[in-house]
Amino acid sequence: MAKKTKAQIEKEIAEVEAIKNQLQEEKRQADGLPSTQDSAQGAIVREAQKLANQIVLERDALEQKTTTGKIYSRFDIGNDVISNRKEKVTAGLWSNGTGELKSFHTSSAQTSSNAGRYYFDVYNSASTSVGSSVQFAIAYGHKHGSGSLITNEDFPTKAVYTQYKNLLLAPGDNTFTFDNSVDEEHILAINFQRARIKEKLDPGNWELVLSGSLSGGETGGGNITKLIDNSGGKDATINDGQRVYSVVSGTIANGELTTDDDGVTGGYGLVYPDLGIIVLNPGRLKERGITPTGTVTASNTNNQYNMMLFNAISGAAAYNSSYGFQARNEEEITSTFYYVRVKNADYNFSNNPTFSTGSLGALRHPTMIKDPKTYITTVGLYNDRQELLATAKLSKPLIKSFDREALIKVKLDF
Amino acid sequence: MGYLDNTSITVDAILTKKGREILAKGADEFKITQFALADDEIDYSLWNPAHSLGSNFYGIAIDNMPLIEAIPDETQTMKYKLVTLRKSTTRIPVITVPNSTITLVAGGDAVDVTPNTSNFEGGNSTLGYTAILSNSDVAFLEVGTAVKSVLMQGATVPTFVGDDESAQSVSAVGFSFRVVAKNQPIQSKTATLTIIGNETGGRATVTVTVNKQEVATSGGDL
Repeated sequence: MAKKTKAQIEKEIAEVEAIKNQLQEEKRQADGLPSTQDSAQGAIVREAQKLANQIVLERDALEQKTTTGKIYSRFDIGNDVISNRKEKVTAGLWSNGTGELKSFHTSSAQTSSNAGRYYFDVYNSASTSVGSSVQFAIAYGHKHGSGSLITNEDFPTKAVYTQYKNLLLAPGDNTFTFDNSVDEEHILAINFQRARIKEKLDPGNWELVLSGSLSGGETGGGNITKLIDNSGGKDATINDGQRVYSVVSGTIANGELTTDDDGVTGGYGLVYPDLGIIVLNPGRLKERGITPTGTVTASNTNNQYNMMLFNAISGAAAYNSSYGFQARNEEEITSTFYYVRVKNADYNFSNNPTFSTGSLGALRHPTMIKDPKTYITTVGLYNDRQELLATAKLSKPLIKSFDREALIKVKLDF
Repeated sequence: MGYLDNTSITVDAILTKKGREILAKGADEFKITQFALADDEIDYSLWNPAHSLGSNFYGIAIDNMPLIEAIPDETQTMKYKLVTLRKSTTRIPVITVPNSTITLVAGGDAVDVTPNTSNFEGGNSTLGYTAILSNSDVAFLEVGTAVKSVLMQGATVPTFVGDDESAQSVSAVGFSFRVVAKNQPIQSKTATLTIIGNETGGRATVTVTVNKQEVATSGGDL
């Protein structure tokens, strides 16, 4: 026998290796395992497909089998489910959905605390009463820190002014400007409690009545000032991505009172409905006798501007019990609708223990033999794993029989 | 000319505890794919076929009753599900178990519970049964014969509040179950085993009692 060359030997070894690999591959296939040539990802994808196919097969088989004897019905996702329907919902802004707040209280514990140096919380009833809760807060801010007592140079009013400046004004704008013309170095801010505001203040549907010290009475245009926003007549100004309207004199019912404009001190304020903040212009309010005349310049002096605005609000309600603070909140609800279609042959028997009698499951009422009647009270929405994810109740029982079909539209809000 | 019977109704749904839990895991997990109907609150003994005003009034007592609001606890709602059966059906599917009471003498004692569905051939033969033992301090609950269906894999079944505040219920899905007693050194304990048909609905309950552990004492020399 001729001696093999090294190249021949290597070739034969390679052939044996190839046969060995082929046999191993065949064995893997016989065992139902993925090919060694596959990537791990490919194997996972195939396994997942196999599992998914099995689920679909089993589900279809179950569906086929359980034309009767079923308690679950599958939705036709294309026809029975309408998702992501958006709807604007407005409601009274104050506690318990009330649209107008007519009783205003502060808490001495809060106003005398350190937090009280920055803002006053306003309650719907005495703060210690059952059911009392914060409705909104009033804050006074001054660009240079005047108008408040200072502890360790903390300048509460300056902190408030810069806080609202950073929140509401465009970057680089350091001063609030009212009526696009008049800069003001101090502001009064009304900040609605988050739970009240939900998503946003409903523009055009709030009205604040303030009492001032001007003489002449209400009919003479004196002591009462009614404020709304100008969203009814103008588009919002978009300031740094948020809507801004001007606060103007007027009422929800009659709109803006255009004659109430002194043309000098700027508008009454600005309202940011998406943030739930109303910024009032003390410079304009002093013309109505609500804030004092003169300018605030003294530092380390508590000028009590918070309390002045509070007194103006509660004073109006005291002056006339029909005056309050009207406001609505607004939120966008995303809903999914499920159409529960109950065909005449479906769901005409019940597992309710009172539906049958005895231990053998005989129908309680002989009149229901071949003419069973059930009542639908509850709709359960399930996932594939039969986990109850949502439930809906009907307002009254809905009778079901072989002569009746039902269509129940179930709305699920997110 | 009268008004047509309007059977299209719009109702608001609320998320159950389980629904909120799954929603919190992410929108992809929250997929409603099927529905069931129930008649919780209805007592069919109010159906009166002897009503003096005739057949239109048989169900008047039920028709007029107001219903309470939806309950977010998935274990306390959808208890009595409506089921689709042939018109000629005279008996509804019933879940039965061999014994309605089980007493186990000592820790480690075990008993097999194999539910059966009568009045419906092949009932619950695919998705099996859900067994819920109300107090895990009383016994272990094991699956005897498992459900092979992939539809039930990974399902979390509703759990009931335990018999006392500290007790936890345990549950399992299968065709048969094994209850294994735990030692009860202080006193005898009782729990309820509820078995629910996953296809036909209906339920059966078994009272499980595990006796207090008896410790043998003998007189010894002092």
